[in-house]
Amino acid sequence: MFNLSELQHDALVEIFNIGVGHAARAMSEIVNEEVTMSVPSISFLNRADAAAMLGNKDTSRVCGVSQHYEGAFSTEAILMFPEDKSLDIVRLMVGESVPLKELTEMEQEAMSEIGNIILNSCVGTLANIFSQELSGSLPQYHVGTSEEILTASGGQANTVVLMLHIDFILEKHQIHGYVAFILDLTALQDLQEQVDRYLAKVMGSA
Amino acid sequence: MNETTTVLVVDDSRVSRLMARQYILSAKPQWTVEEAATGEEAIAKAGNLCPVLILIDVNMPGIGGVAAAEQLRTSCPKAHISLVTANVQNATRAKAQEMGIGFMEKPITEARIHALIDALALD
Repeated sequence: MFNLSELQHDALVEIFNIGVGHAARAMSEIVNEEVTMSVPSISFLNRADAAAMLGNKDTSRVCGVSQHYEGAFSTEAILMFPEDKSLDIVRLMVGESVPLKELTEMEQEAMSEIGNIILNSCVGTLANIFSQELSGSLPQYHVGTSEEILTASGGQANTVVLMLHIDFILEKHQIHGYVAFILDLTALQDLQEQVDRYLAKVMGSA
Repeated sequence: MNETTTVLVVDDSRVSRLMARQYILSAKPQWTVEEAATGEEAIAKAGNLCPVLILIDVNMPGIGGVAAAEQLRTSCPKAHISLVTANVQNATRAKAQEMGIGFMEKPITEARIHALIDALALD
């Protein structure tokens, strides 16, 4: 099993915290209300368990937007919302003036765009902190259980991954969603290297 | 005769085009907003439209926004071009700066669009 030192773990949470803070601001600009986000939690587990961990909270269907990033490290980033809230979110985004029929037609695409903005806001911030460049795929939209969405994004169920997982809440409308980042072990080594370089820089020993 | 001020909004996301259009027209109801869903479509349309402002997303199917902006800079030398992107990385900002074009962070908000229009001081 892969080990992160306490310092690396701490730095990773802090860096993702900053990324998530930017994502929360972007989300809040989209929906025009306060968005609160949890401190990222880090777990090492296999994909099936990762899906179960996300799924435990919510057995109903969710809509998910995922993007794959490559560069200094690779990761899959996934944003998930309860499916029955997605139309509410799109309504908050485009305002009251758009008729319901049109809103429904654009729901899937609007959710993809929301995912694109939020995930890029977080990943882009990480890239800036590491002074690196990460390039992202176009967003993919899926509807299903958390497990289906996690497996749709690729990879074998039994491979060990690192999952960083952040809950967020749209306070006024009581909409809960979450963002997850999945890294395989090679990607994790790359990320660890970036974290070490970051630590060396901030601690002045570079 | 036809002296209308035209803005070209290039984004593969319909909802982003819709929002950009809404906010441009709330500031300048007399302007015309044209749309393109890809860089290729923007290049094909821009020649006839002579837009004063081109807002262009980066991550799109096809050639993408940066390559399209390069070509649009040549075909529409008078247009102000701004990338409008969720990609907030310094590397993307630097690319925009190198090319001498603007950079606007997504989400598209009324405040951002209005600030850009004000800064350009267009009628």
